[in-house]
Amino acid sequence: MIRNVTRRVRAGRMSLWRLEWLRLIRTPRALALAAAFVVLGLLEPALTRYQSQILGHVGNGVRISFPPATPAQGVSSYAGELSGIGLVVVVVLAAGAFSFDARSGLATFLRTRVGNIWQLVTPRFAVWAAAAAIAYLLGTLAAWYETQLLIGPPAVGAMLAGIGCGAVYLAFAVAVTALAASGVRNTLATAGIALAVLLLLPIAGTVHAAEPWLPTTLASAPADLLARTHPLGYYLPTLAVTVAAGAAALGVAALRLRAREI
Amino acid sequence: MSGADISLGTGSGGGFRLPPHLPVALLPLLALIVALDAYCLVDLARARSARGAPKIVWAIIIVFVSAPIGALVYLFAGREPRRHDPPAAASGQPGAPRPAPPALADDGAAPPPRDLPPILTTSGLTRDYGGTGLFDVDLVVPRGSIYGLVGPNGAGKTTLLSLLAGTRRAGRGSVSLTVARRRIAVCPDLPEFDGWLTAAEVVDLARSLVAPAADGDDVAAALRAAGLADSAARRVGGFSRGMVQRLGLACALVGDPELLILDEPTAALDPAGRAEMLGLVAAMRGRRTVIFSSHILADVQRIADQVGILRDGRLLYQGATRGLIDTYLQPSWLVRIAGDPAPVASAMAGERWATRVQPVAPDTIRIDATSIEAGERGIPAVISACAARQVSCEPAAADLESAFLALTGASA
Repeated sequence: MIRNVTRRVRAGRMSLWRLEWLRLIRTPRALALAAAFVVLGLLEPALTRYQSQILGHVGNGVRISFPPATPAQGVSSYAGELSGIGLVVVVVLAAGAFSFDARSGLATFLRTRVGNIWQLVTPRFAVWAAAAAIAYLLGTLAAWYETQLLIGPPAVGAMLAGIGCGAVYLAFAVAVTALAASGVRNTLATAGIALAVLLLLPIAGTVHAAEPWLPTTLASAPADLLARTHPLGYYLPTLAVTVAAGAAALGVAALRLRAREI
Repeated sequence: MSGADISLGTGSGGGFRLPPHLPVALLPLLALIVALDAYCLVDLARARSARGAPKIVWAIIIVFVSAPIGALVYLFAGREPRRHDPPAAASGQPGAPRPAPPALADDGAAPPPRDLPPILTTSGLTRDYGGTGLFDVDLVVPRGSIYGLVGPNGAGKTTLLSLLAGTRRAGRGSVSLTVARRRIAVCPDLPEFDGWLTAAEVVDLARSLVAPAADGDDVAAALRAAGLADSAARRVGGFSRGMVQRLGLACALVGDPELLILDEPTAALDPAGRAEMLGLVAAMRGRRTVIFSSHILADVQRIADQVGILRDGRLLYQGATRGLIDTYLQPSWLVRIAGDPAPVASAMAGERWATRVQPVAPDTIRIDATSIEAGERGIPAVISACAARQVSCEPAAADLESAFLALTGASA
């Protein structure tokens, strides 16, 4: 038995990176993350394409006629979930990973063994930002397939640029979740605070001059790029600000987590 | 979306005709939902139970609650941690075999080395939580000793251990260590781990953090030492509390620490498990230094050679366990003699070390001595000199509990 254990341990070689990977695949987290985005990706273009028929059946005598849906609208309806259900799923799941201080026994195990707090923060951020980006990419591919089939081919370049903007925004959302986790220990409270920040931040965008500088502007970038509302260059300052703000959020989170007592 | 025309009409505007591409378009979505539901149903069927409701209720939720919401609710709220091992190996199950007892490297553990500087000292260590907490604690922990920290609930034991472990900061005072921080291992009173990791993975994670150069053999050895060799491949989510406590100890041991800080290490264990744990700790004497807290004084007396008594955040006593008993208790023995005990009693009364001799039964006398050593040497000598036949000789309440009560009562 001991030899078996030794062999298994040698093969495994645990680390804090592998811990996050296992958190993804051994719990429903990866499944939920991918399923949420893919289901939305498959559903939203179909709803956009058939919204007239759907509303005609539930409209109780009210007939609503929409102009024919465009490919941009098909994908944009999915991309809008970057500030909706998709965002909620990413934040809630990431909050579970970052609130390692919620259980004092687990916090003691981790904190008395790591040299510095970045050992805990970095793998969590990297793995969850990557997982969110991959889930968003899968959802986009699903939306692409549906749109191509039901409406028509969307612009490839705009879609790829939108995927990039969306991935950066989701990484920022994960960083904000880390920052929220440094303020409270409870997972639900962490998710609530992070979502409140991310959902209320666009209010600042009502000030027209501030909009290009707000990270939340990236949430609407995939749709706007497809609709050709703005070129990619318009979002370059936003991307820079988002990366800087995300790094700052992670830095502050690490400082606060390091100062926290168990 | 923009540019919609809204008008009132009568009827539904004709029957709904399925658009030609819609079935193909929705096929992946339907496949995904069906696959998710099927996965959940198979998972439910293979599980021994589900959380919050019977399995049949969860099956109904998965199938009938708007797909895939029912399935997602099950995944997050109803799924029990998976057990991939034979059920008989589960601890706490009737008929389940006990985990293998810890392998004691050396029952006759080496005595603490002398003439070495203390491994840990504190100076005026204070953490005030508004009247409660810890105040002016000057701790001295000899290297290689087993240091038992005792005190009533709220005395400050966990606070003191947290300050020593570095998980809390002192308001005042200092902690001095003659060992590197990374050679200190901490095991809390309620260790917690991610339930989806196996025991071997948890210990391997601890190894990777504190002793990257160690290998799988060290992980296996730590698991064996904690009595978890047979459960190495099991997921921690199915462990009993006692097994989790053993796992916490395995994580502490895998780094081969010089100083081991254990908070209530026997709190969750049954009597047999407690004895095994105490044996394991006792076997570390001389090889490692162990500081452990406990409210079970018999445990402390059994294995600790040094003891610190905390009350209301203050260290009332610190020193050798035996010295505490000697200092705070009048050593006393009950001696039973075959035949008339009067000659023995009068002989005892004539000894300088005997402070009081009184009969307590027709064949039994109680002897109070100036010290334990004096009594332990003097009583057999007197009985022998009297040519009396001794039936029994046992200490009368000369234990740590009595000393603890005497000490804390005297300070009240």
